[in-house]
Amino acid sequence: MNPLREADLMMTRRQLFGRAALGLGTAALADVFSPNLLGNTSSQVRGTDFAPKAKRVIYLFMSGGPSHHDLWDYKPKMREMFGKDLPEHVRDGQRITGMTSRQKTLPVCPSKYKFTKHENNDRGLWVSELLPYTAKVAKELAVVYSTFTEAINHDPAITYIQTGSQIPGRPSLGAWLSYGLGRLNENLPSYVVMHARSKFPEQSLFGRLWGTGFMPSEHQGVLLRSEGDPVLYLKNPSGVSGKDRRAQLDVLSALNNEQFKQFSDPEILARIKQHEMAYRMQTSVPELMDLSSESDATFELYGEEARKAGSFAACCLNARRLAERGVRNIQIFHRGWDAHGSLPREHESQCKDIDQGCYALIKDLKQRGMLDETLIVWGGEFGRTAYCQGGLTKENYGRDHHPRCFTTWMAGGGIKPGITYGQTDDYAYNIADADGNTIKPTKDNWTPGTMHIHDLNATILNQLGIDHRKLTYRYQGRDFRLTDVHGHVIKDLVT
Amino acid sequence: MISENDRLEKNSLRSYPKGVDHTLNIIITTIMLAFGSCAVVSAEKPVDFAKEILPLLSDKCFVCHGPDTRKKDLVRLDSFEGATRDLGGYKAIDLKALSDSEIIVRMNDSDDPMPPENAEKQLTDEERKLIERWVKQGGNYAKHWAFVPPKKTSLPSKGHPIDAFVQKQFSEGVDFAVTANNATIARRLALVLTGLPPEPSLLEDFLNDNRVNAYERFVEQLLADPRYGEHQARYWLDAVRYGDTHGLHLDNRRGIYPYRDWVVRALNNNLPIDRFIEWQLAGDLHSKPTTEQLIATGFVRMNPSTAEGGVIPAEFQAKNNFDRTETLGTVFLGMSMLCSRCHTHKYDPITQTEYYQLMAFFNSTSEGPLDGNKYEYAPVIKVPKDQVSWNDWLKLTVERDELLSDAASIFNNVKSSRSDTKKKWSQSDEVARLAMVVDEKKEWKNNALSIYKDAKDLSKRIDNAQKSFTSTMIAKELDKPRDTKLLDRGEYNLPVGDTLRPGVLKVMGGLPEGAPRNRLGLAKWLTSRDQPVVARVLVNRIWQRVFGEGLVRTPEDFGLQGEHPTHPELLDWLAVEFQDSGWDLKHMLRLMVSSQTFRQNSAHRGELNDPENKLFARGPSFRLDAEVLRDIALWASDLLDPHMGGEGVKPYQPTGLWKALSHPASNTKNYKPDTGRMVYRRSLYVYWKRTSPHPMMTLFDAPNRETSCVKRSRTNTPLQSLGLFNEKQRVEIARMFAERLLKERNSDEQRLDLMFNLLVCREPNDQERSACNRLLNAMRKRYVNADQDAKDLLNTGEVPRDKSLNPTEHAAWTQVAATVLASDLALMLF
Repeated sequence: MNPLREADLMMTRRQLFGRAALGLGTAALADVFSPNLLGNTSSQVRGTDFAPKAKRVIYLFMSGGPSHHDLWDYKPKMREMFGKDLPEHVRDGQRITGMTSRQKTLPVCPSKYKFTKHENNDRGLWVSELLPYTAKVAKELAVVYSTFTEAINHDPAITYIQTGSQIPGRPSLGAWLSYGLGRLNENLPSYVVMHARSKFPEQSLFGRLWGTGFMPSEHQGVLLRSEGDPVLYLKNPSGVSGKDRRAQLDVLSALNNEQFKQFSDPEILARIKQHEMAYRMQTSVPELMDLSSESDATFELYGEEARKAGSFAACCLNARRLAERGVRNIQIFHRGWDAHGSLPREHESQCKDIDQGCYALIKDLKQRGMLDETLIVWGGEFGRTAYCQGGLTKENYGRDHHPRCFTTWMAGGGIKPGITYGQTDDYAYNIADADGNTIKPTKDNWTPGTMHIHDLNATILNQLGIDHRKLTYRYQGRDFRLTDVHGHVIKDLVT
Repeated sequence: MISENDRLEKNSLRSYPKGVDHTLNIIITTIMLAFGSCAVVSAEKPVDFAKEILPLLSDKCFVCHGPDTRKKDLVRLDSFEGATRDLGGYKAIDLKALSDSEIIVRMNDSDDPMPPENAEKQLTDEERKLIERWVKQGGNYAKHWAFVPPKKTSLPSKGHPIDAFVQKQFSEGVDFAVTANNATIARRLALVLTGLPPEPSLLEDFLNDNRVNAYERFVEQLLADPRYGEHQARYWLDAVRYGDTHGLHLDNRRGIYPYRDWVVRALNNNLPIDRFIEWQLAGDLHSKPTTEQLIATGFVRMNPSTAEGGVIPAEFQAKNNFDRTETLGTVFLGMSMLCSRCHTHKYDPITQTEYYQLMAFFNSTSEGPLDGNKYEYAPVIKVPKDQVSWNDWLKLTVERDELLSDAASIFNNVKSSRSDTKKKWSQSDEVARLAMVVDEKKEWKNNALSIYKDAKDLSKRIDNAQKSFTSTMIAKELDKPRDTKLLDRGEYNLPVGDTLRPGVLKVMGGLPEGAPRNRLGLAKWLTSRDQPVVARVLVNRIWQRVFGEGLVRTPEDFGLQGEHPTHPELLDWLAVEFQDSGWDLKHMLRLMVSSQTFRQNSAHRGELNDPENKLFARGPSFRLDAEVLRDIALWASDLLDPHMGGEGVKPYQPTGLWKALSHPASNTKNYKPDTGRMVYRRSLYVYWKRTSPHPMMTLFDAPNRETSCVKRSRTNTPLQSLGLFNEKQRVEIARMFAERLLKERNSDEQRLDLMFNLLVCREPNDQERSACNRLLNAMRKRYVNADQDAKDLLNTGEVPRDKSLNPTEHAAWTQVAATVLASDLALMLF
């Protein structure tokens, strides 16, 4: 150890312990230099309500609204209806966005892609040829055909699914989890967000999707970036080494301890801890991002793309590495799923981006014995229409936003593997009951076989040991919840 | 003989106050003097309904038995009538047999308890006992404190009013902490009032001023500093969610920053806050609104907006108005109106109808519901682009008014003037009159050639000035108001019932007599003497800025679920004083900072067991806001650019942050940092993209300004440490600070003295000095043979380093400066 640092540390300790008589608890003191200290200084962590099934969550968010028609929800009967107007009774008053509301017809648009049935632990899983890799882990997925929302435009819809409200201002799912779960690793942030590259970054993301709304901002997601510093301001300025920083921090501690001597404000000690954690992050984050220790087998599994920083596959690999290091709350946002025209061209590229990464993540966690304790969620903010937006040909088409049903999947983390849940009508336009009759669920009362986005969030929290009705945060006199006054844990999905 | 029961009956009837609308779900004041004797069955302390019971009922019972209760036969606990109503053989509170009251019976019924076993919120044993005691003491109701207009109670003792009220709540043997030393107070004061430490010369004058009222003079100097307005404006901009972008979807640029500059100007000019409010809500509704009054209405336009392809205009007409209504609630009424958007409020006595009546005030502004992704989201007006242009413009208008008055007198004195010219003159505004002087030169030419020439010249200068004008969004009322109806469950497409007239919340007093039912009337209501909440809410936030925490610790919630004031009489006294003073903000700040309460030493006092300083028995101490941290550093290093106002500035920012989340069509997808002096403006002027504000702001808890924020969190995170040490501007600041120290002082000792004097208004103590020297010497050794490292460090940022300085020295001092700037010495108010 650097003797300078040692001397400083000793001095710092002496000074600190010298203050113990002033009434600072010894526990708090011990914490200051304890290697196992919890990075989270606030008491604003709530804890779980029951034994969790999953220790962590990796959320693969497909921003823009992937087409359930072309990926998951196989509707062969639509082929016979190619180009014909969507029957009025199917649409049945559904709001249409301003983009297609002036269209003269709403021609039925079957998927051009081939679907194959894969064996799972249930009735089998149809998967489109766009997702050949993901199809190989059919036995791990719980595929939900009957996810639904009320929002029909991106900003409100994505804000809704990520914060429980269509209007900005609420904490994000990730912030709720951070508040609910706290952290396990003192050298890395507890909530990490990654943005995966896409050729079609068509829709916007917003800070609020990993923000904290009215909660303290320490719960906000930390961006793990592929450009510049992986974590903002991680790198020392040019001409400043780690050793220099150590010397600075030791003097900083000495100065802050002088300040503490004078004011006995515990916040001063809290800040000293944060400076120390920052110093450790300067080592732990580059170590995290350094893939040189990964084997060839890893890159075979995730694909060569995983070597390119910022690719979805690289984000998945990072997610696994974060999970290994005790980070509990990981989100990957992949943009470009908003295929209003040229859906085939865009979705083919999008699927190529994500397919192997999704597959590899599941396989990898499984082979490491971590899948059971890791909840993986895949989905977007809504689905896409059964009818075509713009010109329809056999080869090319586009689809508008569709809130009434869309497909999401979950895996690991106490989710039943290899099942499907819910179904839709022959046009994948409405949710249907087991007999194929259209049903119109609402968020107010859960209907078996359906999953409102509040239900999805309730289920995610449930797997992590949190009762969504009890995870509350009081603001303006109201005990807010992620799921508002709704939400229902989908027991059918849970082991 | 009258039986005991009859007597009770009569008295209970008599006890209903007159003039209370019994159909309202309001909690009425019921004075039941008659029960005093029989109700207090023991010598137990009387239960304070408003403080102890109402919050409990609100939190644990109102969810079923509150204002929102729909079932007619269900017990209502939100009013005395409700609680004492006969529900077929039982009453929640039975005045004839208090112990048999249904509340008590059911609370203690193990078979069929209340709250029910499956209720999310249960009563603790203590709470049960408290409620039981209250019922047995007569079950008195009182109005929630915040809904009773504040009154000044007589001062508990002589001396400063604030100190008198604070001291009153000290237990025996407790007194104020010792007064902090003058230098500490000077720094605290300057930071509270101007957001910067005191200028060294000002500080020195103050410390050497032995005359009486030295402190008061110092306060006045700070209040007169234009940086005062810049600092105070920040709090308001958080509350009104000021941003430079539309906020939703593309999050494009919007033209609104003249509003921000107006706020600064208004506060510097100490515009009375009642007018400050009125102009913002309704400046456009004045008969001849001034430019400033129109700019102020930007407040109405501050809601985030969208133009996402496919959105339904009617939906956003509703959403924009929800946002305005709820922001009005948070900013002025200290409560969320959110619940009442979908149903009558569960806790606070606000009906869903009232929500939509309040919303109706905003529903008739003329802008379209979608912003078109345009900078000029109409209606807009053209105004000077920054404070300098504003000052120039004011001079021009004064010149114009003088010239026109001269012109008028000349013209009125000349008999030959044509009557049609006279008529035209009388019907014209200033702009047209000036044009007349120029165009119809005959009238003036013969009589006073110079006037014509002056007018021509002035008119040219006015034209030139206007060329550099920018646009700002304003509010304008439609000629014919839009219909507003209650929206079922807050769904835009589910209007129900009749068209609603704009109206205010009944629980907070009616519209003042003669007030119009438009935004102007709304403003008059907010600032009327009968309005119980607004003055309290505002004064609480002023207190919060000065003392770090409010008298009500939930400044966003003065409703039933909010926290009770720690010093209710003081809050009320200040609220009334605020009104009495003519809503004079500077007066209130003067009052607060002149108290002993403010001037105490801020060291924690272990013996008081008051970690949150709810007694205010020590001075304030807290981590400063993001903007202040940056400004202090810029100021200390002499980099701070004092230019006031103008388009938001873009300091350095890591590349790709905006692009990573922006829509490809967004005009804020590329962050292009500014160059030159703009990079060093005060943080108030940093460009605010709502979906991605500057990371050095959000890292230190600045809100994103998508929604109203009246209290920032103060968190400590490792990312803050990284930002403090590694962010490009912080590094540049550190080296420029070092440069200043090296140039202005000649020894290490003096340099450290200057550094500490600037940042903490004192010289370092021995420990601090030795710690800094240790680092300084270590860094000298480190850089003496690492010239390139030193130069790399010194080349961070745009300002070129002074090459005449020895790089080793400069780098070593840079490291010391960076460290001290990141320490709590520069981070905290104390």
